[in-house]
Order: sequence, then C-alpha cells, then structure tokens
Amino acid sequence: MPLVSFLLSFVISEKYSWIVSFTAPFLLLLGALCAAFVFFYLPADQHYLREVLWFKVSDHAISGGLFVNNLSGTMLLVVNFISFLVHVYSVGYMAGDSSIRRYFAMLGLFTFAMLVIVLADNLLLLFVGWELVGFSSYMLIGHWKEKPQAATAAKKAFIFNRIGDAGFLVGLMILWALHGSFNINDWSSPHAPTPWQTAASLCIFCGVIGKSAQFPLLSWLPDAMEGPTPVSALIHAATMVAAGVYLVIRIFNLFTPASLDIVAIVGTTTASIGALAALGQNDIKRILAYSTISQLGFMVTALGTGRPDAALLHLFTHAFFKAGLFLAAGSIIQSLHQAQQQAHTHFDVQDIRNLGGLRKKLPMVFLVFIISGSSLAGLPLFSGFLSKDAILTGIVSWAGGSVSWKWFLAAILVGVSFITVMYTFRMIWTIFFGDEKRTDGLSIIESPIVMKAPIIVLALCSLWIIISWNPFMHTRWTSPGLEHHWGVTTFSIIWVVAAFGVAYILRDKSFQARILQKGFYLDQYYQAITTNIGLKMTQLTAWIDRDCIDGLIHATAYAQVLIAHVTGWIDRALVDGTVNGLVSFVRGVGTVTRSFQDGKIQLYIFWSVFTIIIFLIWAML
Amino acid sequence: MQQYLISFLIFSPLVAAFVALLLPAKHVSSFRYLTLLTNVIQILVLILMLLSYDNSKAIQFVEQQPWITLNLGTWGILKATYFVGLDGLSLPLIVLSVFILCIATISSWTVNQNVKGYFILLLILNASILGSFTALDFLLFYLFFEFMLLPMFFLIAIWGGPRREYASIKFFLYTLLGSIFILIVMIGLYISVHDPNASGVLVHTFNLLYMTEPSNFISNTILDPNNPWMIGPYNGRLWAFLLLFVGFAIKLPMVPLHTWLPDAHVEASTPISVILAALLLKIGGYGLARIALPVFPEAALYFGWLVGLMGVISIIYGALNAMSSKDLKRLIAYSSVSHMGFVLLGLASLTTEGVTGSVYQMFSHGIISAMLFLIAGVLYDRTQDRMINTYSGLSLKMKSFTTMVLIAFFASLGLPGFSGFIAEILVFLGAFRSNSATGILPESFAIIATLGLILGAAYYLWTLQRMFFGPFNVKGHISEDQIFDLNTRELCMLVPLAAATLGFGIFPQPLLAIIDPFAKYLTEFVLTTGKNLTLNL
Repeated sequence: MPLVSFLLSFVISEKYSWIVSFTAPFLLLLGALCAAFVFFYLPADQHYLREVLWFKVSDHAISGGLFVNNLSGTMLLVVNFISFLVHVYSVGYMAGDSSIRRYFAMLGLFTFAMLVIVLADNLLLLFVGWELVGFSSYMLIGHWKEKPQAATAAKKAFIFNRIGDAGFLVGLMILWALHGSFNINDWSSPHAPTPWQTAASLCIFCGVIGKSAQFPLLSWLPDAMEGPTPVSALIHAATMVAAGVYLVIRIFNLFTPASLDIVAIVGTTTASIGALAALGQNDIKRILAYSTISQLGFMVTALGTGRPDAALLHLFTHAFFKAGLFLAAGSIIQSLHQAQQQAHTHFDVQDIRNLGGLRKKLPMVFLVFIISGSSLAGLPLFSGFLSKDAILTGIVSWAGGSVSWKWFLAAILVGVSFITVMYTFRMIWTIFFGDEKRTDGLSIIESPIVMKAPIIVLALCSLWIIISWNPFMHTRWTSPGLEHHWGVTTFSIIWVVAAFGVAYILRDKSFQARILQKGFYLDQYYQAITTNIGLKMTQLTAWIDRDCIDGLIHATAYAQVLIAHVTGWIDRALVDGTVNGLVSFVRGVGTVTRSFQDGKIQLYIFWSVFTIIIFLIWAML
Repeated sequence: MQQYLISFLIFSPLVAAFVALLLPAKHVSSFRYLTLLTNVIQILVLILMLLSYDNSKAIQFVEQQPWITLNLGTWGILKATYFVGLDGLSLPLIVLSVFILCIATISSWTVNQNVKGYFILLLILNASILGSFTALDFLLFYLFFEFMLLPMFFLIAIWGGPRREYASIKFFLYTLLGSIFILIVMIGLYISVHDPNASGVLVHTFNLLYMTEPSNFISNTILDPNNPWMIGPYNGRLWAFLLLFVGFAIKLPMVPLHTWLPDAHVEASTPISVILAALLLKIGGYGLARIALPVFPEAALYFGWLVGLMGVISIIYGALNAMSSKDLKRLIAYSSVSHMGFVLLGLASLTTEGVTGSVYQMFSHGIISAMLFLIAGVLYDRTQDRMINTYSGLSLKMKSFTTMVLIAFFASLGLPGFSGFIAEILVFLGAFRSNSATGILPESFAIIATLGLILGAAYYLWTLQRMFFGPFNVKGHISEDQIFDLNTRELCMLVPLAAATLGFGIFPQPLLAIIDPFAKYLTEFVLTTGKNLTLNL
C-alpha cells in the first residue's frame, strides 16, 4: 500500500519537474528506483489494485485506478529506466537549447502518459494516456518549431495517431454497449467470440496500428525523426510505439481467433515493408526508424500467433538495444556537428554515404553500435537473438504441422530476419569501416560523460544476460512459461550466420531502388488521397456554404426585394395612382368650382346674371 | 430569501443599465466599472446559490409570481406567470453565463466608441440571457429569448467590422425566422394546455412543467396527443416538434441553417463573438432539452434519428468547412458548428450518457469557444488582420500567447485532460449505445461522427503549423513591432478559461453530479411517456 501511493506521488511530482531542468533526471531516477522496487518486491502471480472514483454517469462509475501485476511491473521498470537514461542523455544533448524547460516538461509528460497507459486498470483511462502520449510526442517531434519539416512531421504523427485513435474510440463504444464497463479485469475470462467482440478487438487494434506504426499507418514514424534524437530514442524504444504492443498484451483475452489472424497478417506485412525500406535508406535515423517498424511488425505477429509473452520479451529487449542505437546515433550526429562548426564545413551528417571509417575517431560509439546492432540483427549471445527465437518458436508451433497460409507468413518472417541482418550490417559497415569520406580531416571529439554513460548502460543491457543465464535459452527467469525448441534455435543460428556472410559479401553494394527509398510510396498514396478526396471535400462544402445555402438565402432576399419593388410599383401606380387620380379629379373639379368664386366682382356679377338667365329660361319653359 | 436569488441575478443588470442611463456619457470609465461591478455581484450571488444547491432535488430556487391573468370570457383565462427555477440543465449554463459575461466585460475594456450605449446594451443582453436560461414559463422564456435579439443586433451592427450591416441583418432575419416557428408552437400549446389545478374554470397556461404532462392537454385541441387530425403526413404534435426543432436548430446552429454564424462572428467585435459563441448558441440546445423533448416525447422518439443525423452532418460538414477557411475567426466559427453537432447527437440518443455528454459539451464548448475567440481577438487587436496566411512562426515572438493557443486548440480537438474530451466521449458512448438501449440511432452515426475528431485534429494542427511554427514572418503592411506578447488584461481573461477547461477535464465529477440527475430524469421521462403515447399516422 505505501508502495503504490509513493508511486503516485512520484507520478505527480514528475509532471512539475520542469521548474528546474536539472531536477528532471533526478526525479526520473527516483521513479526508476520505485519501479524497480515494485518490480522486484511484487510477489509473482499477484497484483495490486487501487481505485478512486473518476466520474459517474447514470449508474456506471468510471474509476481511475492503478493496476500492477507482473506484466505492468515489467513495463513500469522498462519505461522508467529508459526514460531515466534518456533524461540523463538529454542533459548533454540538449545543453544550450533555448527552450529546454519545455523540452523536459514534455519529456516528463510523455513519461507520465506512458505510465498511465501501463498502470491504467480501465480502458478509458488507458485511452487518456494513449492520447496524451500522442500530444506530448507531437510537442517533442515539433520541438524545433522554427524548422518547417519538424512542424509537418509532428502534425503528421498526431493525425496518423488520431486516425488510429478514432478506431480505438469505436472499439470503446462497442465495449461500452456490450458490457457497460471499461474495466480490463472484468474480461479476464475469455468470452465466447461474437461478431461484436471481433469488431471491438479489431477497432482497438486500429489504435495499435496508429500508435505502433503498423501497416498502413506507418509512414509517420520515419518522418518523426525530425525531432531531437533522444526523443526518437524514447519514442522508438520503450514507450510510444511499444504502447500499442503493450495494449494488445494487456487486453489479449478480448481478441477472438479471427481478429488474431488479421493481427498476424498486419504484423507480417509491416515487418517486411519496414525491413525492405530500411535497406534502401541512407539517413541513419531513418534506417533505425524503419528497422523499428520492422521489429514492431515482429512483435505484432507474435501477438497474432497467440504469443503475447514472446511479444513482451521482444518488446523488452528491443527497448534496450534500439534506445542504445538511437542514442549512439545521436552521439555521432552531435560530435560531427560540433566538428563541423569548428571546421566551418557543411554536409548532411545523418547521411551514411558521407560517413565512413569512424571506428577510430569514435571508438566508444562503434562498440555500442556493434553490440546493440548485433542484438538488433539477432546474432547469438545477444538479447535480440533470444527474443526473436521466442517469436519464431511461437510461429512454428502456431503454423502447425500442415502446410497452410500460416507457413507462408512464417517463411516471410524468416526472410525478414535475414534482411534485418543485412541492413544492420550495411549501416555499421558504411559508418565505421572503409575510408573516411566527408569526415576526413575533421577533429571529432566524443560526447561528454552524461551522454556516454546511458549509451554504455543500454549496450550492456543488450547482452543475453538480461534474459537468461544461458545464451541460447530464452526461457527467462521472470516468465518461465515460454516454450523452447532447440531445433528452431539451431536453425536461427545457422540462418543468421548465413545472413551475416551474405551481408559481408554484399557490403559495398547499395540498394538504391526508389521504391525502397520512398518507403513503398505510401506517403504519395496518402498525399493523393488527402488532396484528391480531403481537399475536394472541403472545397465542396465551402462551395455549398457559399453558393448553395447563402446563394439560396441571397436569392430569397433578392426575390423579396423584387416583390417589394413590385408591390411598391403597385402601390405607386395602382393604389397611389387611383388615389392620385381621384385627387386630381377632385382637384380639377375643385379648380373649376373654385374658379366660380375667386373674388372678382365682375365674375360674380357675370355668374349671377348667367344663373338668373338660366333660371328664367328654365322657369319660362 | 433563496427564492429571490434568481430574480436578483436577472434584474441586477437591468438596474445597472438604468443607472448607466442616468450617468453622463462623458464619464467613459464609469460605465466599464459599473458593468464589471454588476458582474462581480452576480458571481458572488451565484457562488451563494451553488453552495446551497442540492444535487438530489429537481428544480430549485423556484420563484413563481402572477404576471398576466386575462379573463377572456368563454375562451377561458389566459395565465402567464413569472416562473423561474434552476435544475441540472440550467445551472451549468447559468454558471457559464455569469462567468463568460464577466470575461466579456473585461474584454470590452478597449471599446472606445459610444461607450455608454455599448455597456447599456451589454447589460440588457446579460439580463435576457440569464432570463431565458431560468424561465420555466413559455411566454416568459419567449420574451427573454426575443429580447436577446435586440441588443445583439445593435452590438453587431454598430460596433462590428466592415460588413457589419450585412452580418447583423442576416443574423437578425435568420433568428427571427426561428422565433416565428417557436411562436407558432407556443400559441398552439397555449390553446391546447390547461392548468390542472384551476378548479371549475378553464385556465390556459404557459407553464412549461404542465405542458410536459400529456393529461394536461385539452381534448380535441390541435396539440392534444389523442386528436386524430392530420396535417399532411403528420399530426399536429409531430409538426410542432419539427417547428421547434428548426427554430432552435437555427440558434444552435445546425447545418444547413448555420450560415449566419460565420458572418456574424467575423463581423462582430471580440466580446460579442465570445458571448455569441459561448452563450447564445447554447440556447438552441437548451431549448431542445427543455421544451422540445419533454413536451413532445413521442415526436422526439419518432424524429430522433433525424436530429441525430443532422448532428452528424453538422459535425462533419462544419469540420470540413473549418478546414477550408482562410480567416482564423471563420475557422473558429465553423468549428463551433462542428462541436454543436455533438449536442444534437447526444440529445438525440436519449441515453443518460448521451444527454449528460450533450449538456457537458454545451458547458465545455462555452469555455473553449470563448477562449478561441479571445485568441482571435488578441491577434486582431494587434494587427487588424485575421488571415491565417499572413502569419508564420508566431510562436517565436509570442510565447505565452502560443501556449494559450495550444491549450485552446488541443482542448477544442478533444484531447483528454480537457473538458471537451469528457463531453465528446460521453456523447459517443451514448450515441453508440442508443441502438441497443432505445433503438433511436443506428451505430453507424457514432462511427461516422468519429471522423469529426480526425478532421478536427487536421484543421487545428494545420493552422498551428501555418501560423505559429516555422520561421517568423508576417505579410502585408504589418510591422514587426505590432507583434507583442499578451498583456495582463488578456492574461486575466485567458488564464481562468484555460484553468477551467483543464479543471473540468480532469475532475468532471462535480459538474457531472449536477447534470446527471437531470439527464436521467429527462431520458426516463421521454422514453416512458413517449412510448405510452400513440402515434396517429
């Protein structure tokens, strides 16, 4: 009990940590220690739950609750630990940035939102964290506001996430209509699969597609590289993109077999697209981004094959080695930038074609790249090998004995792991081996200790030791339930070594197919869709508003004015005309009669005489 | 003493207006302080009322005084009363009104032209807004409702922008058309409803509570639930519901009856836009929930799909139009149309979540739209230019302004943690559940409406990107020294609103506890009464 309340207070205080930017890493350290405490002292197979009422509608109370079990304990540790390392690293990387306060504030909010996702006990609260992650990543990707590309990338990331979130929301609505509750633990027992249940799980999976950059919503992730590199590490390692995978693990009971098949297909598609596109990139950060997409595809496939624990394992190992790779890449970028400034030259330091032979100038980064990269490639003795092994084992047993489309997916994934080795090797080879290219003659200094230390820690965490004592055995000390298959392990070792050999042979070849560079033209399709449909729609509605509705109103207004004119004319010509006619008639009569008596004595005499004469004539007749 | 509090709220601005009338027009600042003083007194009274408000009771602070009693011989007695009260629907809106009016007064500080007239009209507007949110007598409501038009018309037509005549006349005619529809229904109801407590004599009443009870309708009158007369395809009650719906939908505004809104907003000065968006639009939703739904429950069930459909259309259509707007204020106006669509969708669902969300949305949109229009006003005050394309990179020059813009935009696009999220999620949940719970709206409505969320994100983020990010640059005749950050007065207006939208987003329970009993009562009443009444078709 005091444990979690302490955790709560840390979550709150962390949000205000930006008051002094130096307190941020410290608070995160505190958080990480707490998380470790929770993780190691929570008895296995037990959970801790603490609920407070959030709000109440009619008779349904929606609570804001924290829920810690083995799964969320693991994630808690990973998120806090990596976030802590990224904070430390950022102190070095972002030194001198004018808006460092906002940077740390958003980093804190990001971690907070991620923890909400990890700890939430109901889906609505999870959705809150989910959207907040989207918001803080928007702010972080667009941190360098004056760069137009950064603003565009941030917008794209948020909107892509929003599209997925809309699906998530529909899933929430279905669940609400079905159960009247969002509580995750209420569904802990598997329900009989109904069409609605399949629909709900697929809708929620839409949210996962957006957040975890699965096909078809994956192109925001490479663009998000416009943000500061530590942010890329944080987003691409343990947190944002992992949130989707975590969500599926968390609500795994909700998924019906039919929806799991779709999940597996989406995952495999993503894994292959990501790996192939990574092969064709030249920007160091974009290579890493596409490789993240590919690895996420692996995780999602593992989920689809009914192996959430294997997915979690890969999530866990990937968090460390990918964060290590990103931070190391950031360190290269920063070192080269500083060297450039001293030498007053300029070239794109992120383009690996400009780099080469850096192993002598940046030995530490080189080492980290070797370790973490090997882990990414899945070489034996590294953590990535073990987790991939677990996934492959899962797929093999899922595909079963008979030949079906499931074997096809398995074959694709095996092929993808081959490509993974190739692009990783290509990247490391081009940067660190061969001759120096544009960097020749620059005096390059390695990064300061605050940046080095986190990288080294992450690299060490990429070794096999993080999972189990046996470098070929992925059954981990924390979750022993995972099955293990020596045949698959042997095959993977041979396969990876073969891939390594092929990669060495092809080391100087570049894969410059445009389709790979452009990430399968997904962006172009989206562009076409948005301009053709979206903008047309807005133009259409604007036209309806201006010309149809307002036009109609103006037309009625004119008609009214016209009618008014007509009635005005009628008024003038007919009514007034009659009246005027009458008036002039009367006036005419009046004039005539008035002329009888206009004060002239002669006239009076004349008329009198005239009248008398007439009278006499009449009298005489 | 409690029963006079509402009257105090309504009439204190009128008294202040009278005092202002007597003051010499030279003392410009005295009018400002007088209005502000009135607002502050109103806030204090309101706090007093909030302290003694009891969530579990229905209508409270009731005051009922005889007003018009006319003996019409064989036609019976015409009886209208001064009848005001507060419940879970009106209290949130009154809270909103009192605070927004105070902010509007602060925002009016810069008005320099004909200050006396301006503030007198503002005070009259104040009284009529509060009156229409509290009136429980149809005639009284109608009186306040109509009375709002007059000050609003002059406030736009005299203190507005270059096309103010066009905008104000459009506003006036549109709203007047709506009022006529409401008037027709009011007369019909007056003829059809009698006071059940009057012994022996026939008393025609305007009491809204009596009108909701089907047994109070005189048999064989036009709006009697049992009368067999048809006018075209529908009977009188269905027509009456449609008339009320259109009348209030104009005010809301609902697509396709919304085109007065962008024009009125673009031409009106900032405080008037704030009042218009934050308060006047809510009267449309308020009228539907207060009058149309409970008085014609069977029609509400029958036409519920139509109301919901128009809500969905408004959401999508308004968002698309916002995206195509080049003027910042126009964009915000269209976003209002989009957000008020949620009110319709929630009301139409007739589920407790939906109705609660709908009222919550009215409240939350009041806060957020006030903030958005103040933001547009801040920029306009500095440069007299609201075109989005004129600016870029404003965040580099106006740091705290950008923070406020971020808060307002993200609150408006429904980010969790802001009040709009709670409202929208409740509306969505209610609208989706409507099919299984009440059978009114198909699930597809809620699903299509989620598109509005994506579009909302798109137009706000696009605006942010164009105006606030990128390198600093302004086009045209604007010089760089015209661009400066918020001053204290502007912060005084924006910070409380930002705090409010955050507060109601994170801790929705206090407000929900007020709304929820009303929503529950309304849905149960409409469903049970509506199902008991037979539709003569």
